[in-house]
Amino acid sequence: MPIGKDEILRIARLGRLFVSEEEVGPLQRHLNGILEHFERLKRLDLEGIDPFALEEETTAFLREDAVTAWAGREEVLQQAPNREGDFFRVPRILEENEEEVSPDERR
Amino acid sequence: MNAVEIVKAVKDARIPATEITGKAIERIRQVDSEVRALLTPLFERALEKAAEIDRKIEHNQDPGPLAGVPVVVKDNLCMRGLKTTCGSRMLENWCPPYDASVIRFLEEAGAVVLGKTNMDEFAMGSSTENSAFFPTANPWDRERVPGGSSGGSAAAVACGYAPLALGSDTGGSIRQPAAFCGVYGLKPTYGLVSRFGLVAFASSLDQVGPFSRSVEDLALALNVLSRPDPADATSSRRERPDYTACLGKEDLKGLKVGLVSEFENYPVQPEIREALAKVEAILRGAGAEFVPVSLPATIEAGLPCYYILAPAEASSNLARYDGVRYGISAKAENLMDLYMKTRGLGFGPEVKRRILTGTYVLSSGYYDAYYLVAQKARIRISREFREAFLHADLLLMPTTPTLPFKKGEHQDDPIQMYLSDVFTLPVNLAGLPGLSLNAGYSSSGLPVGVQFVGPKWGEETLLAAAEAVERVLGKPACALGGD
Repeated sequence: MPIGKDEILRIARLGRLFVSEEEVGPLQRHLNGILEHFERLKRLDLEGIDPFALEEETTAFLREDAVTAWAGREEVLQQAPNREGDFFRVPRILEENEEEVSPDERR
Repeated sequence: MNAVEIVKAVKDARIPATEITGKAIERIRQVDSEVRALLTPLFERALEKAAEIDRKIEHNQDPGPLAGVPVVVKDNLCMRGLKTTCGSRMLENWCPPYDASVIRFLEEAGAVVLGKTNMDEFAMGSSTENSAFFPTANPWDRERVPGGSSGGSAAAVACGYAPLALGSDTGGSIRQPAAFCGVYGLKPTYGLVSRFGLVAFASSLDQVGPFSRSVEDLALALNVLSRPDPADATSSRRERPDYTACLGKEDLKGLKVGLVSEFENYPVQPEIREALAKVEAILRGAGAEFVPVSLPATIEAGLPCYYILAPAEASSNLARYDGVRYGISAKAENLMDLYMKTRGLGFGPEVKRRILTGTYVLSSGYYDAYYLVAQKARIRISREFREAFLHADLLLMPTTPTLPFKKGEHQDDPIQMYLSDVFTLPVNLAGLPGLSLNAGYSSSGLPVGVQFVGPKWGEETLLAAAEAVERVLGKPACALGGD
């Protein structure tokens, strides 16, 4: 079933992405085009494959859990678009409208 | 001069590093207004670094294995205190507080960074047209694209700005532009090169790698870049060989090269077919044997598999651009508004497409149908490659199905654009090394590339085979009258 305009807006909200009126149409066309292409995957025989099995030796680089000093704090804060002293300033959080939350947003 | 020759000249105190750097800067000033490969030149800093190398030479200190070699680096590699934009409005003025490990490795080895190169926004694209700032031109035909997403790095090496460049390859972003610009491009095995300080796109696929115009330069660069790095948890601890030691072999006797049966009927432009035949003949002449191998799921499902997994990972990785800690920030009434507006404003169309696709395939109700199926397909593809490498030491494949396309040609048709990566992206899905090399030029003067793919940690075989081809065809030419 092709994805409708409302569904595009729902997904965009999940991805915290503002999408303008002009953008919705092209995004809808594109996403439907790709989903059609994805149908090919369903023709593959994937019986018995564990999608999360590690098939080869892992090469993880485990470090000792040691505390090290880092002098970059001021440099990091300098990049803040909206800084107040040693804090990042954000708009009001607590009085945000409690809208209906979808299962994806709760995860 | 290539990198190996520069290092020798600098170490022997025949040519000062400052002179090498000065000449490279002159070359960039001469042609970059036409090609536009650089986003941020770092000329003053480069001359200072070169002077440091010259001082070391004067004081008989070891200036490192890349002493005085000019390099350019893709703009998704962090350099402390210097703009790192990722080709995006989102990070237009962002200056990271640390260096990427690969930048540190290069500079410790004596390389001189001349500038940051243009790229598709957040490395998403195959033409460098998705840069938020300006497109880069293909140096061989400025009406055409240089490929992408590391198009700036590939074009810069093709024009002789520097003998070496760094790019990143998530689905072909080093090899495809290397083919389009007529240079070497190596995507190393997943885990060989550190990604610490590479701005993340799809973390299970991203690798950093070098561009060059000679095989020995590629090997020399890999020696410097492939250091194990505790700052990247995926960096392998295995011992690295000296990649220059595999070069200079007299022949390729005993080497088994696989030809993928399924590719025989895949639509590929005739001039690319001819290049494959030419390379096959050269390798046979050097003593290699050819065997057929089969990758049915790879060719059938590689593209859809990649275009589920890469956007899924991207949608998650790009969640960090929230307008709070760095990057641009929109005026907003509340937090949700801040996120939505900042991201709507900061991201371009292709990035939005991928975030949307990725969010969709991970969202509840669709995860099993898309993400999980793609994850299984990825394992099936990896197994196919493993099976193929029981019979062959390396595979000879096209890098791309077409020659460089015209600017704007695929801008309204993302799937056509994605198809440009059909032969490169399976290599990332399986975590393998891939090397694109120039195999001559089309009748219209466009570079034609082919690709070698190896088993994990098989870089030496790829380099040795590429050298055998270079011995017959010569080193790739320099574009726009350079040398």
